[in-house]
Amino acid sequence: MKIALAFAATLLATTITAASAQEPVKIGYAISKTGPFAPAARTQLQTYELWADQVAAAGGIDVGGTKRPVKFISYDDQSDFSKAPAIYEKLITDDKVDLLLAPWGTPFHFSVVGILEKYQFPMVGNSAASVTIRDIKPGNIWFPTSAIPDRLAAELVKFLQAQKANTVAISTLQLPFSLEVKKFLMPALESSGLKVVVNDEYAPDVKDLTATLTKIKQAAPDAVLMLCYPPDGVLYLKGARELGIVSPFQLLLVGPADPFFEKTFGPNLDGIVTMGHWSPFQAKWPKARPFYDAYVKKFNEPPDYLDSALAWMSIEILEQAVKTAGLDKAKIRQAISTETFDTINGPVKFKGVENVITPTMFLQFQKGQAQIVWPASEATAAFEPKPAWTK
Amino acid sequence: MDLSVILSGQLLASVLVLASLYALVAIGLNLVYGTMRLLNVAHGELVMLGGYVAYWGFAQWGISPLISALFAMAVAAAAGALIYIAVIRRLFRSRFQARVEANSLLVFFGISIIVQNVTALAFTANNRGYSYLDDVIAIGDARIAANRLAALAVASVACFACALFFRFARSGMAMRAIIQHREAAALVGIDVDRINLQVFALGFALAALAGALISMTQTISPFMGFPFTVSGFVIIILGGLGNLPGSIFGATILAAVEVYGVTLISPSFRSILVYGVFIAALVLRPQGLLGRPIKAR
Amino acid sequence: MTRRGQSVVALALAGVALFALLPLVVGPYALGIGLGLLMWIALAESWAMFSGLSGYISLGHAVFYGVGAYATVLLWQVVPLWLAIPLSGVAAGLLAVCLGWPCLRVRGAYFVILTLGVSEVVKYIVIRTEAALGRQGRLLIGTPSLTILFEAMLVLAVVSMIVLYMVRSSKLGAGLLAIREDEVAAEAVGVNATALKLLAFTLSALIPGMVGGLMILRSTYFEPLQAFSPTTSFTIVTIAILGGTDEVPGPLLGAVLLVLMSELLWARAPEVYMIILGVLLVAFVLFLPEGLLGRAQRLRGPAKS
Repeated sequence: MKIALAFAATLLATTITAASAQEPVKIGYAISKTGPFAPAARTQLQTYELWADQVAAAGGIDVGGTKRPVKFISYDDQSDFSKAPAIYEKLITDDKVDLLLAPWGTPFHFSVVGILEKYQFPMVGNSAASVTIRDIKPGNIWFPTSAIPDRLAAELVKFLQAQKANTVAISTLQLPFSLEVKKFLMPALESSGLKVVVNDEYAPDVKDLTATLTKIKQAAPDAVLMLCYPPDGVLYLKGARELGIVSPFQLLLVGPADPFFEKTFGPNLDGIVTMGHWSPFQAKWPKARPFYDAYVKKFNEPPDYLDSALAWMSIEILEQAVKTAGLDKAKIRQAISTETFDTINGPVKFKGVENVITPTMFLQFQKGQAQIVWPASEATAAFEPKPAWTK
Repeated sequence: MDLSVILSGQLLASVLVLASLYALVAIGLNLVYGTMRLLNVAHGELVMLGGYVAYWGFAQWGISPLISALFAMAVAAAAGALIYIAVIRRLFRSRFQARVEANSLLVFFGISIIVQNVTALAFTANNRGYSYLDDVIAIGDARIAANRLAALAVASVACFACALFFRFARSGMAMRAIIQHREAAALVGIDVDRINLQVFALGFALAALAGALISMTQTISPFMGFPFTVSGFVIIILGGLGNLPGSIFGATILAAVEVYGVTLISPSFRSILVYGVFIAALVLRPQGLLGRPIKAR
Repeated sequence: MTRRGQSVVALALAGVALFALLPLVVGPYALGIGLGLLMWIALAESWAMFSGLSGYISLGHAVFYGVGAYATVLLWQVVPLWLAIPLSGVAAGLLAVCLGWPCLRVRGAYFVILTLGVSEVVKYIVIRTEAALGRQGRLLIGTPSLTILFEAMLVLAVVSMIVLYMVRSSKLGAGLLAIREDEVAAEAVGVNATALKLLAFTLSALIPGMVGGLMILRSTYFEPLQAFSPTTSFTIVTIAILGGTDEVPGPLLGAVLLVLMSELLWARAPEVYMIILGVLLVAFVLFLPEGLLGRAQRLRGPAKS
């Protein structure tokens, strides 16, 4: 009798455990699938899809020791960050997700902070960079990137000094991120003794950069810093080649990390410096190359060296946190806030909302590949002056 | 500001290229407005479509965008005719004439949404670009990529062809007649409906041509159209609503302000400058800088 | 008031009361949709009180929304919110006065394009200003709850409808309608077109300014390109035309229709959602050119207009 009872109890317990083990973990996110930001958000979305594939192949993710399948719920925010709060609220209250993935872009991250606070729901951010993140109370969102504007500016100046540059031309797009970088860059340049010979700003929707480029060509500085976004980055590359700008150091702030640039410009992209802190060629990070290869296999193009890498890092952090802490929000919060994570970008640890381990770096395209060229401690290749444009 | 920069051939080349492309966009927009008093807020989307046809032709089959442009024009003309027959004509025949203007805005807005999102669906929302005729040519003290030179050449020829068409061709003269006085034109036996159809076809075709040429010089994406719509509006106002040669004039002004204006002041004021000039022109001289006082209704 | 008038008012009051109680009943997501609905009602009714009645179609109404949002952001934690929101409305009104004086001299299609251009230029001026101030996007932390915002927006929506009704039935409304018919003739019979247009234009800006302020509290992040987005302007015009621009229920119907369509389609089919919306817009214009309200009134038969 007792044995039968014990047997029945075990059977029941096993069934219940098995049933809950089979209940899928719901992971939700919103991202710009349509609208003007869709092209930019695409590489992050693809990274999420890559993960979904891998999770499905593995049969699920490890939740506190038990493997459970995953159900992804994703919505389109239509490139309108004012819609993001409502969507994330829906994910939390209506769809009752267990975990959240971040949307694309700084404004979107910021717009959902209120919701995360309201529901005390932790989420690992990725594609956001602004000094404003330090205003946010830690506990529900974290930012793994090291490309924060003030750090970027400081490192850039050091980088320029290491190249023995004396004169600098800066042209800035009037959008929040590029302006923020400029805000920190100008004083840093002044105090370093570098001379700014051209300093222009331009509005979004610009169709023609000839005026600025002509000024730059005339001034012939050692370094050209285009604090741009992809569309104007394209205008720059076309125009600089047309005019024959030969400065050895040419930086395009945002854009080249997207595979679109390499596809369109080929060898003309070589020598261009851009922001980023990940390269598949860094041997110190054994996970980097496999991620790169898997992404290339699925999408037939390299990942975005900034957005895709960050998206994957945020996924790795989440996975590792959930592995130790299960789905309990307080435990996840604790895990993310205190543990050191092993990612494709090396170790990541948060102090407050910011990642304090990953240094701020710069990438340069060499022979079509993104190499880390600064700082020396992380470099995968040495900086090369910009080669001549193709005829 | 360094005078030599302002007077350089480099900037002049840029102004000419930009002006010729803007002119193509504006003529089409102005034609539709002049003959039918309809504001086509979807005009920029046609530019975008022209760009995609050229891109696709080049990326898939290596066809020169200059050739794809012809195909793009044909497609756009067909689309224009279709939209006229299926939609616009019904608008005109509806009994709610007072609302035609408002309703046309809505219709074109709907069309622009459809076109943008169908393109995004078909091509995914990625930015697209390609390199064609990339050699840099030096003319005087200006260096210009061959594709921009080609764009300038083709666009100029097209504008000139339009000028000839409006001057000498029967359809062209009929269009001008309708622009001048619709009722009178009908009275003298012009088949207004047929000419309207041709206007839509031609206007759309010109926009698509501009798009094909533009695709050689900048990235294209499904949502790139709206700035061209706005620029088009600015130009046709500057040049005078319904004033076709005025479109070329307005296009040159806009391009000059964009290129020279920012050289003189600062690129950070580019958009403010452009719109400022436009608003000032409109408020001070509502019929446009060149326009004869043309009734807006 | 007539029997019919009384029952309409009673119905309206009941409707408002029901709406006010909504936060108690539905969850946050549905409440968010409700907020959006009220926002579009408030915006479209305000637009109609000028553009609908006078026939001067403004394609740049987002400028008032954006200015209101910016004002609230600037006044954030400088003055209490119950003061900041009305001040945002005032700011929008002041802008309307400044803009109206030059712009209202222009008519027809010129006016339409002009309003579009004005909205864009203000957008770029704000971008330039923010750049000069060294501000890159503004994050508001600690904004009011959704329920509070909802109730506030309900107030604005109701006020907008009342104002439209009052304008419509007043001499101002009659004057505007006369202007729409034939401005020259109206002036000939003594209608002071300039004054009336300016007055209506300013009135139509006040509520959108406050709406912009409330919505920035909802999204907590201010960025000029989004706050002054032409899509907002176009959507307002769409709603008003769809529903009918002349009477109070028109924009209301239009807003309900648009929000309903959006909600039904958006989550299920993101890429095609917009395409279907575009098709529906075109279809509406072709088959219901007088707007929902117009058709409903025609079906009811020739009654008072």
